[in-house]
Amino acid sequence: MAADSEPESEVFEITDFTTASEWERFISKVEEVLNDWKLIGNSLGKPLEKKEDYILHDRPFKMKLNSGKEHVIKFCLKMNILIFSLLNVFVDVIPQSMQDLLCMNNDFPPRAHCLVRWYGLREFVVIAPAANHDAVLSESKCNLLLSSVSIALGNTGCQVPLFVQIHHKWRRMYVGECQGHGVRTDFEMVHLRKVPNQYTHLSGLLDIFKSKIGCPLTPLPPVSIAIRFTYVLQDWQQYFWPQQPPDIDALVGGEVGGLEFGKLPFGACEDPISELHLATTWPHLTEGIIVDNDVYSFYVGDFVTEFFKICRRKESTDEILGRSTFEEEGREIADITHALSKLTEPAPVPIHKLSVSNMVHSAKKKIRKHRGVEESPLNNDVLNTILLFLFPDAASEKPLDGSSSTDNNNPVSESEDYNLYNQFKSAPSDSLTYKLALCLCMINFYHGGLKGVAHLWQEFVLEMRFRWENNFLIPGLASGPPDLRCCLLHQKLQMLNCCIERKKARDEGRKTNTSDMYPGDAGRAGDQLGPDNLKDMDKEKGEVGKSWDSWSDSEEEFFECLSDTEEFKGNGQESNKKGGPKEMTSLKPEGRLYQHGKLTLLHNGEPLYIPVTQEPAPMTEDLLEEQSEVLAKLGTSAEGAHLRARMQSACLLSDMESFKAANPGCFLEDFVRWYSPRDYIEEEVIDEKGNMVLKGELSARMKIPSNMWVEAWETAKPIPARRQRRLFDDTREAEKVLHYLAVQKPADLARHLLPCVIHAAVLKVKEEENLENISSVKKIIKQIITHSSKVLHFPNPEDKKLEEIIHQITNVEAIIARARSLKAKFGTEKCEQEEEKEDLERFVSCLLEQPEVLVVGAGRGHAGRIIHKLFVNAHRLTESSDEAAAMAPPEEELKRMGSPEERRQNSVSDFPPPAGRELILRTTVPRPAPYSRALPQRMYSVLTKEDFRLAGAFSSDTSFF
Amino acid sequence: MDEDVLTTLKILIIGESGVGKSSLLLRFTDDTFDPELAATIGVDFKVKTISVDGNKAKLAIWDTAGQERFRTLTPSYYRGAQGVILVYDVTRRDTFVKLDNWLNELETYCTRNDIVNMLVGNKIDKENREVDRNEGLKFARKHSMLFIEASAKTCDGVQCAFEELVEKIIQTPGLWESENQNKGVKLTHREEGPGGGACGGYCSML
Ligand SMILES: Nc1nc2c(ncn2[C@@H]2O[C@H](COP(=O)(O)OP(=O)(O)OP(=O)(O)O)[C@@H](O)[C@H]2O)c(=O)[nH]1
Ligand SMILES: [Mg+2]
Repeated sequence: MAADSEPESEVFEITDFTTASEWERFISKVEEVLNDWKLIGNSLGKPLEKKEDYILHDRPFKMKLNSGKEHVIKFCLKMNILIFSLLNVFVDVIPQSMQDLLCMNNDFPPRAHCLVRWYGLREFVVIAPAANHDAVLSESKCNLLLSSVSIALGNTGCQVPLFVQIHHKWRRMYVGECQGHGVRTDFEMVHLRKVPNQYTHLSGLLDIFKSKIGCPLTPLPPVSIAIRFTYVLQDWQQYFWPQQPPDIDALVGGEVGGLEFGKLPFGACEDPISELHLATTWPHLTEGIIVDNDVYSFYVGDFVTEFFKICRRKESTDEILGRSTFEEEGREIADITHALSKLTEPAPVPIHKLSVSNMVHSAKKKIRKHRGVEESPLNNDVLNTILLFLFPDAASEKPLDGSSSTDNNNPVSESEDYNLYNQFKSAPSDSLTYKLALCLCMINFYHGGLKGVAHLWQEFVLEMRFRWENNFLIPGLASGPPDLRCCLLHQKLQMLNCCIERKKARDEGRKTNTSDMYPGDAGRAGDQLGPDNLKDMDKEKGEVGKSWDSWSDSEEEFFECLSDTEEFKGNGQESNKKGGPKEMTSLKPEGRLYQHGKLTLLHNGEPLYIPVTQEPAPMTEDLLEEQSEVLAKLGTSAEGAHLRARMQSACLLSDMESFKAANPGCFLEDFVRWYSPRDYIEEEVIDEKGNMVLKGELSARMKIPSNMWVEAWETAKPIPARRQRRLFDDTREAEKVLHYLAVQKPADLARHLLPCVIHAAVLKVKEEENLENISSVKKIIKQIITHSSKVLHFPNPEDKKLEEIIHQITNVEAIIARARSLKAKFGTEKCEQEEEKEDLERFVSCLLEQPEVLVVGAGRGHAGRIIHKLFVNAHRLTESSDEAAAMAPPEEELKRMGSPEERRQNSVSDFPPPAGRELILRTTVPRPAPYSRALPQRMYSVLTKEDFRLAGAFSSDTSFF
Repeated sequence: MDEDVLTTLKILIIGESGVGKSSLLLRFTDDTFDPELAATIGVDFKVKTISVDGNKAKLAIWDTAGQERFRTLTPSYYRGAQGVILVYDVTRRDTFVKLDNWLNELETYCTRNDIVNMLVGNKIDKENREVDRNEGLKFARKHSMLFIEASAKTCDGVQCAFEELVEKIIQTPGLWESENQNKGVKLTHREEGPGGGACGGYCSML
């Protein structure tokens, strides 16, 4: 338009939505899209789906190319083509879409775009309003759109049908057009909520079809009819869904009690299969579909999902439980923290440990008492049951037995399932952490939600402190240093256990004063020293920071050994820098572990002893992370490297001191032969007398003057491990862990434990699948495991990815539940004949995996008989209802096809009425005039209880008319 | 300067004491051989940027001490490593025999199983060879590792070893890009469900 070149009119255009040019632009846009998408000419076999948005007026439209996808026709039914070609020599000239109208392969697809279902089309373009509120409601607008479509098709020569969606979206109303050379098909639609009487039976529909065609020929060419009735079975008479929600009271009251906390429930809360659709298609097919119940609610899935939701909560435990519960105890708490801070302060006065633990313990009791029953999110019974489940040792008189924590005689411990924790970075399925995760999950679901979770966690933390204060090992944790393959929380608990173990050994050693072993080496047999040892200890008491068991010492951190060594140097104590063996030999050997083979000391030939050494400090992954960061920060320069080595030499120094204590008068060479034998090089040489002798010396790298090994050796004093400063300060580490635990919010907790919960859910699903043996599910579970192990190994997995995993697990659960439901309904277990049983099992598994399954042998097959019986039983119950009258049984319906006026016989049928009836009428007739080309005509109707739809595609010859 | 670096990779060097781990690393990073290198205490750390196939990668290399007593310190450094270089001394059979122990440790402490392992037989410049090249090859094949013989002293194979390792890591999907992955790649989510009557909606009959 000329207006386009004038700036003023452009402004004008923007404000005036009704200008003709806007519509013209719209048309040209449509044409452009059709061209872009290469829909011009014969277009079959083009790419499947494309989308483009366009704004017409203020109204955005979407254009979408759609193809029937999997319903692509492979061959046409011969009969139709035959009729068609006899009548029409130009058969291949008409557009593919028009031919599709007659093709029966797209009849009644199980799942397809509605336009495929209604018109049998394989390819079409839809112009639809982009949003619900943009619906095209007025007739004039509708016509305008349709005429733009018509123009665009005409201009481009596109043979793909173009549809416009009109009315409200939910009505799924489409009108459209398809153009070919001299031919056109109009697609029309009627959609009604109330069904006019004449549409309820075949003859009425035939009348409509004929009148629509307005065929000038007599007699009318044959109309082919395809019918499909769908029966819906919703009443499962002989089968009750057995899944009951777990009995919460039983959990608390019964003896089984706590056991239930360790297990995830499984299955669907309701029957996961709500409907069975049976479709009968005339003349040749009988098909069945299952429809899944939409109100999904599955146990495992819900559990995990609900638990996962906690991750998004921001509240702290205190906020959730309400500040009030703590206000009263505020003073006491302050006392405790004060006491504790004293405990960790470097104070020369040893605090009487017992008093502290008493305070904490009594405070704990008070907190419990104060909160009272009605205020507690968890009632006492539930709480006690859970605590007993988590800490079974609490039931016995002496809960401190360490063996419970180390027992690894679990029969499954080596199995693949057991080692899953490795992949999920969760925790072993028999561990405290895992159990805790399940309990929190259960609490969250059944007992007070978030509050319950916060409450249980608080109790758990108190229990941890109680155990630390009283030297009770925590049960359900593998002994030894934290297992880095497990989740951080598990590592923290293991760390706490390490601390308890060392403190316990130390306290016991102190009590008896006879055992002289270093606590960390409790297992090793140490050489027993006389009671004079005690004197040594007393002597050392005065020296702050010297003796390893000094309470007040919190300075030692592994990288602070620099000051450490300097302190030693400056101390000027009986310096053995010169390494004078003579003065040293006079010292009494201390802290010997055992003799090192046949090795003897170089200078005096005494046996060489391996000393009792300090155990290296256990570490959790976050500590290790911190440490390696510190080390890396030192950089790569020579000084950096030197400093790094120094920071890590505490262990070396401690070992050297122990060695010196155990082997008075030894040399560095002696030490190296034990510690790094490859750095002591022995050579056979011939001495002056001509004998072969072994001559040894330090390796070149050990001989470098002032290398760190030599330096450390010169600094080291002969001190046995038990009197050295602790390399690992269990007091401080325990307090750090306890603090860490105390500040975890429920959200943090949920994140920590989610891997355990997912782990448990996967195990549960796997276990249930084993019972059903569904191969597709096996595969999915494997995928879930690999997927989860990838996601969970990263420090902060994205919520979306976690949700995805949970969703996958829920899906698997749904499939299994559905399989169970179907198996029960079809009685596959009860089936006695082997062959029949196999048949049924195959049928059931097909139902699970395919949208639609052919019922082999229809009503006479095994499955068919059962389906029939199911329907009959359901029908008997509703027979009295007169709804049956509205929908005729199939035989009758077929009968009436011939004689439409015949009144419906009220014959007694054992079958319920169909829930939906679909009908396709087809013919090929010349339109609009008798001498026009014969073209395909098609009408589809679907009738359900409250919905009726007619979709007609009527073609006409446009060239000679 | 770090702008054009594709990724930072964590590499770990392990093996018995004295096999020449620190010497190999020094040769790679500084291209020198220092016979005066002290036995490593704990772990040491070096950084080097190399480019492989036009991709620049920054290597953070952790050199661990081989001594038994230090080993309790080192497991932490296995965490998050993408590549491991396992070294033995071709002139000392005992260092070759101990390889199994080291693999065990790797298995225990490595947090992932797609990590790339390389076996290096060092000190081939020396005359008193005790381990045949073929033995090394066989071992590497058995445990699906890369294999090369090298000498930190003469420089043979050192550069190549590191380059090969990095290349392999970069070729392993999901091993190194994981941290940046979230930015570009969009997870394909489930198709929008049946559109409730919208034009895109697939539906069954009723
Ligand atoms: N001839 C020869 N000697 C080597 C070679 N590589 C290392 N060495 C020597 O072997 C000794 C040990 O080398 P290091 O690099 O310190 O060994 P390492 O494996 O780091 O030992 P640790 O730190 O104790 O675990 C040194 O004396 C080196 O000079 C080599 O390729 N050829
Ligand atoms: Mg070294």
